[in-house]
Amino acid sequence: MNTIAIILVVGLTLFTIGLSVFSRRFTRTTADFYLAGRKVGSFANASAISGDYLSAASFLGVAGAIYASGLDGIWYAAGFAGGFMLVVLFIASPLRRFGEYTVADFAFGRFGSSRIRLITVIAVLLTSLFYMAPQMYGAGTTWQVLVGQGIFGLDAYTSGVIVVAAIIAFYVSVGGMKGTTMNQIFQFWWLAFAMILVVVFAFGNGFGYPSELEAASREPIVNTKAYTVAELTTPDANGVTPYDKAAEVMTAEEMATVDEFIASNAEGKTPIAFYASNKLHPEREMLFNEPGHRYNGFDQFSMVLALVLGTAGLPHILNRYYTNPSGKAARRSTFWVLMFIGVFYIGSTIAGLAGLSIIREYLAGGGTLNAASVHGLLTKPDQLMPALGEILGGQWLMGIVSAGAFAAMFSTVGGLLIAAASALGHDVYEKYINKDASEAKRVAFGKTAVLAFAGVALLIGLAIPYFGLDQAYPALIAMMVTWAFSVGASAFVPMLLTGIWWKGTTEKGATAGMVVGLIGAVTIIFLNILQQLGTIGHEGVLGFVGSLTYPVLFTFPLGLATIIIVSKLDGQLPKNVDHIWMRIHGTASERHEKQYGLDKVGSMFAKGK
Amino acid sequence: MGDTTTHAPATLSADGRQIQHGDHIDTIESVDTVFRAQRKLSFTYGAIFFAVTLGVPASSVWWTAWYSVEILGGFTANYLFVGLFYFVFLWVMAWTYAKQADRLDERLLAMADDIATGTMNGGVRS
Repeated sequence: MNTIAIILVVGLTLFTIGLSVFSRRFTRTTADFYLAGRKVGSFANASAISGDYLSAASFLGVAGAIYASGLDGIWYAAGFAGGFMLVVLFIASPLRRFGEYTVADFAFGRFGSSRIRLITVIAVLLTSLFYMAPQMYGAGTTWQVLVGQGIFGLDAYTSGVIVVAAIIAFYVSVGGMKGTTMNQIFQFWWLAFAMILVVVFAFGNGFGYPSELEAASREPIVNTKAYTVAELTTPDANGVTPYDKAAEVMTAEEMATVDEFIASNAEGKTPIAFYASNKLHPEREMLFNEPGHRYNGFDQFSMVLALVLGTAGLPHILNRYYTNPSGKAARRSTFWVLMFIGVFYIGSTIAGLAGLSIIREYLAGGGTLNAASVHGLLTKPDQLMPALGEILGGQWLMGIVSAGAFAAMFSTVGGLLIAAASALGHDVYEKYINKDASEAKRVAFGKTAVLAFAGVALLIGLAIPYFGLDQAYPALIAMMVTWAFSVGASAFVPMLLTGIWWKGTTEKGATAGMVVGLIGAVTIIFLNILQQLGTIGHEGVLGFVGSLTYPVLFTFPLGLATIIIVSKLDGQLPKNVDHIWMRIHGTASERHEKQYGLDKVGSMFAKGK
Repeated sequence: MGDTTTHAPATLSADGRQIQHGDHIDTIESVDTVFRAQRKLSFTYGAIFFAVTLGVPASSVWWTAWYSVEILGGFTANYLFVGLFYFVFLWVMAWTYAKQADRLDERLLAMADDIATGTMNGGVRS
């Protein structure tokens, strides 16, 4: 039992709850609950956006993806950061200037129909659910490494998922956006602190970036995967079995364990290690410092586009821009976000590479970890960060890193719960179900929605191992996050870009584009999952569509083209389109705010309204 | 098509071509001026951003020296750019864009005041 590490995690959790209880005193109106009173300054908002954005995928998944895939894994870091350029260039300032609560509000305000607002709500909920899934999976796997055992008779994974879902549900429903914002600011700086510590300890352990990269790239990348007895001995199209491939890499002693597993004809799976092939340049060995481990030529482009476009389509991030006091502050916030997350991701790239040699040497020296391993490699790369913390700094660093992992999950799921709650509470309940609801009733509905979505997140977390998804994908956390990015990029970004920058966009065009993008992305993702699970094959049209790991390269242009074509055919602009245009791009509001000092940052904790 | 001004922070004038916030008035002419300048700035930066961002995977596919020749320890040009210099590129882009956009805002705010004042005084500029 990692007692010190667990105490640190419990301490972080109690502090998180304390901040929410403190913030509760200042959450009286829906503007407080959903937008923190629109008084969050650039630096604070940048910290909160970074905390909101840096999820388990960034803290656990990026380093794990680099550890497992080398250069192709680094694209997660670069793409996650690059997405904010699109936000700052095209969306941040106009969205804030429009001045509403949610993305659905923008859709309604820009196009003037309840239909598009409700479709936006559905897209927000779907994107949020796709994004919650990897956070909950991260909760379970981190608990496995940190605690190593379950509570109340449950297994370790299930315990982690339940505990994290319960804590987040409590602190978000109590603290609302103010409490969540304060927590996200604190949690981002904790994350950054944990990442910097791991990097500093790695360098202290003798890590040299160019030389370590050179050493890691001398031999091909080694994959790990678990197989049943039948799978191990079944040859592929070239007559080679996974067992044969393992024999090329694993030592005689390691192969003896595999032989024993086969001889026993046991149930379940055993992990093996084997050389990876190069998907981009098949004639070359798959080296750590070259592209091709995860992506072929097509996916090299679609992956980059999914991440870059997806950031601009994440509702919990876009909602945060409404908390800025002005359009200029929104732009400035984004610059700081890029600085913060850029430094963080550079740290991730170092941690991912450093983990290779540090873990191999530690295990070769007789060290043991709660995380499973084979041939000196973790079988779940997503467990790299806490394992690295344990090796480099004992329980203290493991505790700081694990607390960072939980902080990443808390802050992101917190933001997602607020986004989902505001979609249901603000966009549906207040607009259609109970228009005359008192502020108290509105806030109460928002809190109920938070609790309901936390329950859904819990179920999704438990369903992942049940359906075998954790076995179907390497570095599952980062993979699942790109699904959320794909849904957001396909559903929202074409609508936002055309809505903001093309006056000729009509309601029918925007609605059709959103529906096409949303259904297209969700369909392709589910076909890909079914293909990975072996439910559908690789043949025919269905097989081709299912092989598209990142649908954005098809679904984004499809959504965009649909909007343009349908808008041109439709031609019915909102009758007040000039007024809407003046709201998005006009300056009267900003001149007014500037004259009366309304563009200045205020205190989130002022009692008066 | 419905009127979507339910949440608008200001009122629509009778001719439907003005928006007022306190003493400040926007006309469609002033907004178009602001919009065109902002669009030019954003789309110029956007073109540079996408050219560089999509240029990297393109080089990974077609430029052998980019992805296979080690130039510093184990660093290939590809690894060095994606792992480090791409972030620096983003910081420089975001900083210069934010600065230029701020300056543009200031200029356009003053210009919009001039145009609106002209309009209020009856001097419509179109």
